[in-house]
Amino acid sequence: MLVTRPLHVFLRHPANLRSSLVWQCIRDYHSYEHEAPFPFAPTEDAILSAALSHVPTHGFSINALTQGARDAGYLDISTNLFPTGAFSIVRYHLVSQRLALAKHASSLQPQVDITANIATLALHRLHANKPIIHRWQEALALLSTARHLATSIRELALLSDELLFLAGSTTVTSSWYTNRAALAAVYASAELFMTQDTSKGFVETEEFLTRRLEEGEKVRGGLDMFGKWVGMQAGGLVDGLRSKGIWV
Amino acid sequence: MAARSFFSQALHRPTPILEFLFPIFAVHRSRVRYASITTSSASPNTEPSPSSLDRSFSAKRRKPLSEKQRDFLDCALRVNQAGELAATLIYTHQTPPITRAHPHLRPIMHHMYSQEASHFSTFNEMLAKHRIRPTAMYPVWSAAASILGWGTGLMGREAAMACTEAVETEIGRHYNGQVRVLLGWVKEMEERGEEVGEEVRELVSTLKRIRDEELEHLDEAVGEGAREAKPYELLNRVIRSGCKGAIWISERV
Ligand SMILES: [Fe+2]
Ligand SMILES: [Fe+2]
Repeated sequence: MLVTRPLHVFLRHPANLRSSLVWQCIRDYHSYEHEAPFPFAPTEDAILSAALSHVPTHGFSINALTQGARDAGYLDISTNLFPTGAFSIVRYHLVSQRLALAKHASSLQPQVDITANIATLALHRLHANKPIIHRWQEALALLSTARHLATSIRELALLSDELLFLAGSTTVTSSWYTNRAALAAVYASAELFMTQDTSKGFVETEEFLTRRLEEGEKVRGGLDMFGKWVGMQAGGLVDGLRSKGIWV
Repeated sequence: MAARSFFSQALHRPTPILEFLFPIFAVHRSRVRYASITTSSASPNTEPSPSSLDRSFSAKRRKPLSEKQRDFLDCALRVNQAGELAATLIYTHQTPPITRAHPHLRPIMHHMYSQEASHFSTFNEMLAKHRIRPTAMYPVWSAAASILGWGTGLMGREAAMACTEAVETEIGRHYNGQVRVLLGWVKEMEERGEEVGEEVRELVSTLKRIRDEELEHLDEAVGEGAREAKPYELLNRVIRSGCKGAIWISERV
């Protein structure tokens, strides 16, 4: 399902249901017998990837899109193919970089240390923003406009899902949701941090990311422990009553 | 969504299970208890088993599943996982009071529990592998199933068995609907001369096996006095509509 729900549909639902709506349509049954088709048609792919190479100089703008169309050998008018204008370059970058993660994941050892795998993959993804990092705040501004917010949230959800899947997470309890929401929040804040980072090789962003992931681990570990504790108390109570001959 | 209406249509068509049930009601109880599985001997007659289900290789072309089909599987496997989660919890909470009062039921309770646990892990693996999200109602179903198991366990052997009977009737009907849809795909693929992929083939046989095991539980529960529960009618009706509601919700969230 690649259709994005319009924002007003999304906002019509109560806040607590919104998060489950985001996940509800993120993907469907993943088959191993056929590769999913690349989400961009060859023409779009050619124009948008050429446009992306103009972003460092022209920013995320219609201008970059026009330059891209020219480079790819199309008339300026072909930018009409992209009704969302400059935002389509942002989306192209997000989607193509997300799909590129799978190639990088083959070097990981699944099931060994999932948090370490997530950190490696997320860092790899952040580094893909390097060539355009000085323009990334423009992209963030576009991503947070009301018109594109639903697409942005969905794309972030898909990235979070991709990172967890490639890192080897097989959790299918209610933690499925909390894991994805937590990772999405960590990734988004690291991405924002990176636009301000002036350290060499973005080491500070790397530190920020690993620190946040560790904190997240602790919080989630704590929540799990709390759940276990409640369960143990309830179990203890039942056992206690049973030992008193009460039929529970 | 089209896949959903397709799915619910499949669910509400009259199912062969109820037809399997009628002979059970007619036979004398002591015969039922020792009878071999009525249902699995009945299924081959009512269900086509296309030859392509056994073939492992052919040179035929293969087409990817359509979006509608992937949507259907997404929904179906999510509901199945939720159902098996509930089943394991029901038995977990029923077992202590039941086996304390009726030690002879220990093996049967253990047998049913371990089959449910294996169903649950089968669907857990499938969800992780095919990147399907679990239902958002996961904590709600956990609580509801635990309370149902605990409550019927306290009410005694007959109530616990009536609970199993009611749940398995709905679950069996639910799995039968899925098997029927998948066999419909297989038939279409054969008619178009396409190869049936390993994934669909495996899924059909897994669902059939699990369905047969569920119906086995149903027979065992009836054999252990499910219908003597008081008030049987009410328990049966309430639990079955609960199951239907839970399936309906899990298909959506
Ligand atoms: Fe089961
Ligand atoms: Fe069962």
